[in-house]
Amino acid sequence: MDIVQKLEILSDAAKYDVACTSSGVQRSGKRGQLGAASNAGCCHSFTEDGRCISLLKVLMTNVCVYDCAYCVNRKSNSDVVRTSFTPRELADLTIGFYRRNYIEGLFLSSGVIKDADTTTELMTATLRILREEYGFRGYIHAKAVPGAALELIEQLGLLADRLSVNLELPSSESLALLCPDKTRQSVIAPMKLISESISESVELRALMRKRTTVYLSKGRPRRAARAFAPAGQSTQMIIGATPETDWQILGLAASLYRTMRLKRVFFSAYLPVVRDARLPQTDHVPLDREHRLYQADWLLRFYGFDVSEIIDAAHPHLCTDVDPKANWALNNLDLFPVDVNTCAYEMLLRVPGIGVRGAKLIMRARRQTTLGEAELRKLGVAYKRARYFITCKGRYMGQGVSFDQESLHARLASPIDGGAHGRRADKTIEGQMSLFDGVDAAGSPLLSAPAPQTHPAPELRSKAGEVL
Amino acid sequence: MSTHSATDIFDEVAYIHDGSPEGMLTCIFEAYARHEDPAEVVSATSYQPQLLQRAVEVPTHPAHAARVSAGIRQRLGAFTQRQVMKCTLSGRPDAGTVLYRFIRFAYDGAKRRDCASCPYSAACSGRSCQRSQMAPVNDIAHPRVKPFHDAVRSVDNECEKIRQFARFQHLKDEEREVWFARINPKDAVVPLVLGHFIERFSVQPFILYDEVHGMAGIWDGKQRFLVDAEDDALTLPEVCASEVLMQDAWKAFYRSLSVTARYNPELRQRFMPKRFWKNLTEMQDGAPGLKAY
Repeated sequence: MDIVQKLEILSDAAKYDVACTSSGVQRSGKRGQLGAASNAGCCHSFTEDGRCISLLKVLMTNVCVYDCAYCVNRKSNSDVVRTSFTPRELADLTIGFYRRNYIEGLFLSSGVIKDADTTTELMTATLRILREEYGFRGYIHAKAVPGAALELIEQLGLLADRLSVNLELPSSESLALLCPDKTRQSVIAPMKLISESISESVELRALMRKRTTVYLSKGRPRRAARAFAPAGQSTQMIIGATPETDWQILGLAASLYRTMRLKRVFFSAYLPVVRDARLPQTDHVPLDREHRLYQADWLLRFYGFDVSEIIDAAHPHLCTDVDPKANWALNNLDLFPVDVNTCAYEMLLRVPGIGVRGAKLIMRARRQTTLGEAELRKLGVAYKRARYFITCKGRYMGQGVSFDQESLHARLASPIDGGAHGRRADKTIEGQMSLFDGVDAAGSPLLSAPAPQTHPAPELRSKAGEVL
Repeated sequence: MSTHSATDIFDEVAYIHDGSPEGMLTCIFEAYARHEDPAEVVSATSYQPQLLQRAVEVPTHPAHAARVSAGIRQRLGAFTQRQVMKCTLSGRPDAGTVLYRFIRFAYDGAKRRDCASCPYSAACSGRSCQRSQMAPVNDIAHPRVKPFHDAVRSVDNECEKIRQFARFQHLKDEEREVWFARINPKDAVVPLVLGHFIERFSVQPFILYDEVHGMAGIWDGKQRFLVDAEDDALTLPEVCASEVLMQDAWKAFYRSLSVTARYNPELRQRFMPKRFWKNLTEMQDGAPGLKAY
């Protein structure tokens, strides 16, 4: 099998991993060495589903001894061609892609070949070729395999920029149900180790920089050549495969940010790729739910929200028709309207329609100007949404709509641009009649009754159920 | 220059430069030197004659341009100077006018907000400086500053697009070897992004060729050059054998990475505008994955 075929198979198997970020570490280039990394990361291409490609995202191998129900590489799935890269092949491919500016670096994940330790050793070997032999200074994201020896994970962390351990499912019951070979402990233990090693490494390097201690030349500790996973760690959860609520998921995410100091928690809407009786029997992909969860996640990380402000046990699911920030604002109308010209930055961030960029621009502009409607529109905040929650120059900007929860909710929930916004695939409403419906099926669509098409006969439905 | 009697009948004057950054800055110099207030500062290619407007061609004078640049640095600070440089590279037809209006505004107010007396002005980027927070460049809601701010931002965005979408090819024959990238940005961003590519590709000699502006950034492994280059003047080695394999591998990777259930080409097009596709390796085979609904 040639390298292109291998790449095709092993990247196809890796694509369901949603994490593809190259951010979080700043490493300048060095003469004579290939590569650099920038704090903001860089997306080099975009797939036809609009997701960014910033790293060469592949599996080391798609051979796997585990049998996780949702995974395309599960042991019992015989439809997949199994193959694997040698460390050398993968390192050469990474360098080849990097030199052409196709990628920012490598995202290395793997199926579990033989056992977790062997797999981790293979990955370490690849990273070692890249870092030590080729002197590669680009970005590397490596996946820690649950169940691997902690020393091996430590080695991996010294070579990679970001490590991640996939939580996959938000509760231990679900994990036991769908991933019989993994336990919660086997996922949490490496996560904990990584978080401890990161903070240890940060502290150590800070101390080394300060030079507060004077060493005799022999006793001087050697400066650690590389920081341990300087871009931190992340994790991923599958949404919609198991019955957990948004409240549980966000609570878990918030506690991971707090206790494990994760950089990112990724949510991946469950896609049916393999059929299994334990999985939901539907083709619906909960993209909307994933989107709302990401919005809530952004509020946690960039907008200074606490998870209890976004969601509570009484309403365990995020509101579907307005975003979480608007929902919070609607439930806390006593805090609004705020004056954009005087209120604190933290409060500006909480106004629906004003984001981090908008709030910073407002802070910058209002030192020298009193902002009114025209200025706000020019600065690029979503004025149409923000106006119900602000005053400028002593005037409330949302005139014409009564300042109560129902009418504001109706305003904020109305589709953006009258529904012209968003992806095309979502705009075809099920059951919507089209001019060409039934033209092929029945000779004269206007005369034949359209009802049977939208409501299939009951016996048809049960048949489909049996097949599944 | 027109004669006296001719100037009287015109309401406005437009300065026309040769399209280079120096030309644009020379126009600003001339506006101050001649005590005129041009309504437009445009390049010869984008100028549209208007009734009651006198067009003055301003010959480019590098020394004058350098004086303007140095003056901006002194009066308005290094950060503003850098922004002005970016604006001069903009491909927008009104970039010159926007820049001129901003500089008039900034200079008018500069006396009470200058950085000139600040002891840190030489080393200061202006970003985090408390003193410069009242600088005219930060008055972003002002009608003279906002267009300037937008022009600079669009140049910055274009730089990022090039950092994302430049694709290098490995070209090689017996005596020569070079990595070549062809780009088509709206703005002349090569001087702004060259450093980025040198930082990460210092081991490989490369050419970053801007086919729109006929400009190439060259890194020979030790030194950088910025040269004017036209398409027919380029003689390049053949692509090397491994290049084809790598391009195939990249295309295969690109194809296999997309998830059909999430198909959303509008989103892709927003992030990766169509105008870049012709130079993108992965989009060469008739834009893979475009299907009709």
